[in-house]
Amino acid sequence: MAKREKKGTFGAALLSVSKKYIFPDRRRAMMAIGGLAGLALLFFFVADVLFIKSSLTSSGPLSSYHATFEKQCEKCHDMQTHEVSSDNCKACHEKVSRDFALEVYTMPAHYVYRSDSTSRRNRASEAEHPCHTCHPEHLGRETLITVVPDSRCTGSACHNFGSLTQAESAKRADGQNKLHPQFDFIAQSIPDDSTLIFTHVRHVDEVMKTKKLTDIERACLYCHNPQPDGKHFDAVEYDKHCDLCHLNADAKTERLPIRSGDAAGVVTLETIRASREPGTSWAFYLNPNEIRPSGDKLVKQPLYHEDPWIMENLKRTRRLLYPDRGLADLLKTSATLSSLKDRASAKAVYQEGVQVLQDYATGLRGQPQENVQGDLAKIDTLLSRMRRRLRDQPATAADLRLFFEKPEVNPQLDAIQIRDYNDFINSLLSKETCQKCHLLAEASIARVRKEQNTLMRAEFDHRAHVLHKRCLECHTEIPITVVVNDTVRVNDFKKPEVEKKDRSVMQNLPSIDNCTECHNPSQSSNKCVTCHYFHPNKTNRSNLLLYLD
Amino acid sequence: MAKKKPSFLKNWVESPSWFRAFLIGVALCAAAFLANIALSEVRPYNAWGLTYGTLAAVLMAIVALYGLRRRTTNVALKLRLGRAQPWLQFHLYAGALCLLLTLMHSGFHVPKGILTWWLWVLSIWVTASGLFGALLQRWIPTILASGLGNEVLYERIPDLITEIKDKAKTLAETCADPVWDFYKKNLARALEAPQPRLIYYVDVTGGIQGRMKQFDYLRRLLSPEERDKLNKLEALYKTKLEIDAHFTLQRTLRGWLYLHVPVSLVLLVLVAFHIFTILYY
Repeated sequence: MAKREKKGTFGAALLSVSKKYIFPDRRRAMMAIGGLAGLALLFFFVADVLFIKSSLTSSGPLSSYHATFEKQCEKCHDMQTHEVSSDNCKACHEKVSRDFALEVYTMPAHYVYRSDSTSRRNRASEAEHPCHTCHPEHLGRETLITVVPDSRCTGSACHNFGSLTQAESAKRADGQNKLHPQFDFIAQSIPDDSTLIFTHVRHVDEVMKTKKLTDIERACLYCHNPQPDGKHFDAVEYDKHCDLCHLNADAKTERLPIRSGDAAGVVTLETIRASREPGTSWAFYLNPNEIRPSGDKLVKQPLYHEDPWIMENLKRTRRLLYPDRGLADLLKTSATLSSLKDRASAKAVYQEGVQVLQDYATGLRGQPQENVQGDLAKIDTLLSRMRRRLRDQPATAADLRLFFEKPEVNPQLDAIQIRDYNDFINSLLSKETCQKCHLLAEASIARVRKEQNTLMRAEFDHRAHVLHKRCLECHTEIPITVVVNDTVRVNDFKKPEVEKKDRSVMQNLPSIDNCTECHNPSQSSNKCVTCHYFHPNKTNRSNLLLYLD
Repeated sequence: MAKKKPSFLKNWVESPSWFRAFLIGVALCAAAFLANIALSEVRPYNAWGLTYGTLAAVLMAIVALYGLRRRTTNVALKLRLGRAQPWLQFHLYAGALCLLLTLMHSGFHVPKGILTWWLWVLSIWVTASGLFGALLQRWIPTILASGLGNEVLYERIPDLITEIKDKAKTLAETCADPVWDFYKKNLARALEAPQPRLIYYVDVTGGIQGRMKQFDYLRRLLSPEERDKLNKLEALYKTKLEIDAHFTLQRTLRGWLYLHVPVSLVLLVLVAFHIFTILYY
């Protein structure tokens, strides 16, 4: 009976077993909710694309630099292809343009920038990187799109040595960073291209005594004067830094012969005045008593730095020795640079040439003839353009037409005449005066590189570093100091080992290892842009100004 | 001798081979991402980032096919698409890998754009709800089978409750006043409808034994005949309480899908739109 009672039931409560197959509940409601929500959102976003200018579909807000264009897609995007073209950037950033000249935001400008190789200026335009590849947008309002990651520089075929970011893990057995290259002047043992005869230790010692200084580094600052921004130093100037000790009132020339025909000798002040050659107006202001006869010869006393009478006589002798110097004849000093990569010097040479031409023009202003005044107006316009071009475009040594590898000696002179001329030049610029500091090259004073920038491709901010390290903690190659009884003193410049090291050709700069002590992943920033700029100086004026010329 | 599974794998991983494949996938993703960091920048729009995004989208599309497979069983059988279990395993692990690729695509940063922000958040939501569901699928059946005397289909619960209610009422009407009063006062309302209770998540028996105590007090005062009827009422009440436990837990087992499936559909729509906007712009 119990069995019969339980048939068709289950459990203690004898509940009935289902008489049909039970299908699981359908989940249409669930699918309907999802589908409808998805479609609603899709409709919303499509409407946004079509009518609300895609603010919802964009990958993020524009940076604050471009925030005003948030709803104006067409300002950056091509409305046909929807791509971003650098052509749209140049509407505001006109330095992107390649239409007119070498603009600072173009790749050719980057190639030429500090490499000074104008052959790279004409690199094909396909090598041009669109702006947005390095400066991506839509990454948020606070994004600094000018901060470009290292991989943009090192991840490509351009600078494939890597970066400092992996400095610690990339040390070679010899301790060098295999990723970031060593500075060229260390790797290739390039000497300082100084053309001065100069010893640091002797001068530091002298300045400390003269100025009664106790801090050695204050003596450094006597010549190395920081610029207002603290990054770099002003150029060394004779009048400011050397004049106190050099070429005092008793400085005078040797007894110099007076030129007769083509024989080597000086030209008298009267002859120079009478010649009225361009650039000799100084002759009318020079005190004639400074040049006095001594027997059948002349002596000039006192002597000045860049003494015009000496320089004029040097120029006239040089013209006899090297008659085919062309435009280089405009220059006061040698037209040959020790380093053709030195753009600062190259620019200085250009500026000097332009200034000399300007002086020549100034000398002609007193002449009332109509044709002279007409020519002067044209000359002024040309000189103005040259100055502007020098200021705006990266003048490079390769551009210079003022340079000659080595001027050729006048073939009409024989060996005796050449020797006589050289002997005369040596006595004109005697070892007691000019040649005490200067070197001679091809009957010219070798050009002095006054600018103190040594790093060609990197920027170094002295102010940012001087609180952390003193001058002589980094600049250690020249042994300026010696420690005696726990006191830091200036080294003895008469010691042979000091004299051997204290030469102007010494590059008194630290190696890259000195930088990586702090610039490594765990300390200071070691990104490429910390020390290097991709674009040349952006403050250069735009070429739009060419239209104003 | 068969190799013994580690307890973790035994309890939570249905298919160790799928789990190992998943771990290999994670390792490959990690290696790719480390290489990405070393060689390039982590950006959604460069070659690395687009590769992560494309892989994530492809995986997402395949993962979504599981839902289709579940709803077209007959077609799947005809096309011999294989058993549902491998599909579910792929759905689980590929879905988790899809989230990892999505995070790699965004550089593990919260996206700035509105659409991309929603994609990022919904991807995390869908994967998290999916994993939560997988956890429930492993946990709830185990506890249901461990402490209850009856097994019932969720879909039958309303019918069974009605049956219990009717049976109990019919039985109670034949009883003497004490039992009838007891029924009216303590049982009638409790038998009306399924009653979900949170206690079942902690203790699947839900204190059933404690509730049965009230029958013991009454039983001592009754005649043998009335006592027999009370025993039957007790069995009906106990069964109802067990059905309540089933109702509570099985409802959760089905309900989590509402957290997962509709949002997944929204995500698929938005991913499609995201791809369209990328290609368009």
